[in-house]
Amino acid sequence: MRGSAVPSAGRPPAPGPRDLRLIVRDEPLSLAEHTACYGPLPSGPPDLLIAEVERSGLTGRGGGAFPAGRKMRAVAGARGPARTGRVVIANGSESEPASSKDGVLLSRAPHLVLDGIALCASAVGADRAYLCVGHAAGTSDRALARAVAERAGAGLDSVPVEIHPTAGGYLAGQESALISALNGNAPVPTFVPPRPAERGAHRRPTLVLNVETLAHIALIARFGSEWFAAAGTPGTPGSALVTVTGAVQRPGVREIPLGTPLGELLHRCGLIKPAQAVLTGGYFGTWLPLPAALTVPVSHEGMRAAGASLGPGVLAVLPAAACGLAETARVASFLAAQNAGQCGPCRNGLPALAEALNWIAFGQAGPDIIGWVEQLAGLVAGRGACHLPDGAAGLVRSALTVFAADVQAHLSAGPCARASGPPVLPVPARWTQ
Amino acid sequence: MSQHPDRGSSRQPPLRRPQLRVNPIACDAHGLCIELLPELITADPWGYPIITPGPVPLRLQPLARRAVAACPTLALMLTSPPR
Amino acid sequence: MTGTGHLGAIIVTSSTPLWYATRATGLVAMVLLTASMALGLLSSVRFQRPAWPRFVTLGLHRNLSLLALGFTVVHVLTTVLDSFVSIPIQDAFVPFISSYRPIWVGLGAIALDLMLALIITSLLRTRMGLQSWRVVHWTAYLCWPVAVLHGLGTGTDTPVRWVLVLTACCVLVVAVLTFWRLALAWPARPLASTAGVVLILATLIAGGAWLRVGPLSPGWSARSGTRTAPPAGASRPDHRASR
Repeated sequence: MRGSAVPSAGRPPAPGPRDLRLIVRDEPLSLAEHTACYGPLPSGPPDLLIAEVERSGLTGRGGGAFPAGRKMRAVAGARGPARTGRVVIANGSESEPASSKDGVLLSRAPHLVLDGIALCASAVGADRAYLCVGHAAGTSDRALARAVAERAGAGLDSVPVEIHPTAGGYLAGQESALISALNGNAPVPTFVPPRPAERGAHRRPTLVLNVETLAHIALIARFGSEWFAAAGTPGTPGSALVTVTGAVQRPGVREIPLGTPLGELLHRCGLIKPAQAVLTGGYFGTWLPLPAALTVPVSHEGMRAAGASLGPGVLAVLPAAACGLAETARVASFLAAQNAGQCGPCRNGLPALAEALNWIAFGQAGPDIIGWVEQLAGLVAGRGACHLPDGAAGLVRSALTVFAADVQAHLSAGPCARASGPPVLPVPARWTQ
Repeated sequence: MSQHPDRGSSRQPPLRRPQLRVNPIACDAHGLCIELLPELITADPWGYPIITPGPVPLRLQPLARRAVAACPTLALMLTSPPR
Repeated sequence: MTGTGHLGAIIVTSSTPLWYATRATGLVAMVLLTASMALGLLSSVRFQRPAWPRFVTLGLHRNLSLLALGFTVVHVLTTVLDSFVSIPIQDAFVPFISSYRPIWVGLGAIALDLMLALIITSLLRTRMGLQSWRVVHWTAYLCWPVAVLHGLGTGTDTPVRWVLVLTACCVLVVAVLTFWRLALAWPARPLASTAGVVLILATLIAGGAWLRVGPLSPGWSARSGTRTAPPAGASRPDHRASR
């Protein structure tokens, strides 16, 4: 964790070389400290901010990686009275069990996120703003409410921010599920179209951005798109928060310039060798084998070239002493149980997929089970209203590839000894075997 | 009836053809679309429709419209071609 | 049928062919409406066989509904045109304003209004929201029994044996299929399902009782409000009078 001292009250600092500024210390920053560290909340014409964000190339940090500037422009230009009546939603739900970056960001630098909300609200013409917070450890509703009150006292936010607790469950933090919940309906994904940018919360054009994305916008508004893009790669500019868990000595949340090689990041976290694989992108993501993947750059295009995805920046390292198939089977069971029950292919296919994987990992399965798993993965992918089935299918397919040797061993001789070891990947208590 | 099966579609380039899409939340596996348009829609092991991706050929468009009207939950849609 | 007296009546009263047409189209419309109702219920229980795919049920349901409406329209026209009894066109659409058997003709007006609503909304189904269409379509459960009651109450032929048997068959078919439909709903909604069964049984019993003391008892014609004076010298063959 980079520690730069918080400057005392006085002139705000001029933009310096491209240092990492999302989280500057371990304790939360109060409003006064925040202003001293970053400078006051900038103001300006809405189009200027949108253009600046577009120029910066900032992509969503919630996993979708959609260009943030394009989203802002779509909401600002949506049909309806110009620049009024929009809704901004800051998504801090963090329903991904292996991720903790949003919780850490909200507790250490809440005012960066709130700045981002205020800036976006004025840029798109919103008159309502929500900050959706999950139940992950480290996010305190009260601390956030205090931060909001601090700003109200200073007259900072023209649009009051309503703090909304996201329902539990893996899908509750999904964009359309969040909007559905705010509209008073069940917190499950809805069919798109209409897109949130056209009609979302309260039937108004809605901008949904991850809290980290909003924090980056707050920095871009102060220091400019060139400063932002000075770090990172052309394909994925800027810096990002990543959550590293598993077989490392110093797990946790770190801010890195995108494009950092995976090996360098894991080394900084104290990689415990021998490690056999790393799960990238969270439970929607893909396995990469170690040590081969150490050269893969942590960026969207770098991960994609390796057949993986960055997602919300989750990296879970699997030690050699664990069984990749067992871990994947547990995650698959969790994902299957989290389906919203709305779409037939997912409701039927995911439990069947998880069951088949559990047979491979923990039971005695015949060789034709591989074909059955492949068939199920093909049947569920792309046939739901959200990406849960796609993510589960991708995870299972990558497990069968990366742990192919284990698959052969399990099929011929039954579950290995490592499969009955303690779980590495954090799956919420209810769903562990 | 012309000999070349797609001859009539030469006046409708592929990009302008409508596409079939199903709303998976509304779909309740009634199966009428599978009965009415087996050329483009097949059933998965649980009775839900698997739609062949791509634009709908001109000669099948009336049948596709019929299938859309027959769906008890109006889950099947024919998306209009992009302008 | 009595002898020359009746023949004289047929010659004098030129409206008799219209009257027969009214009765005939009314019966046929009832049968068609029953068939449409039955097919709709079969669709709702997802009935299908290898040789009877679901789109056949759906297609027949739609076509027979339109046919039923067609026969009903003819039924209304012959009634209105029939000069023997004064039933202007508005009596067919506005319930209970008729001077002839107001309640029973009124039920026919209700059934006709519901049929029009059902068919028009179904023609516009893809353009209106699914939920609105569904709510309107539920009124079919009201439309059909009202139509049958209308037939029993106004119908001159109600006491005729084969007409009674035909009506009973129609009621049996719809009742059985509705029980099937309610049985399917039982696991998810046991309370509503049981209430539906009870309601149907109560309606059947009440209907049967009413039939006995109403149309099948002597003097129904007068009691139901047949307040119309026939033209001088003419009379209509009345089944009850001929017994």
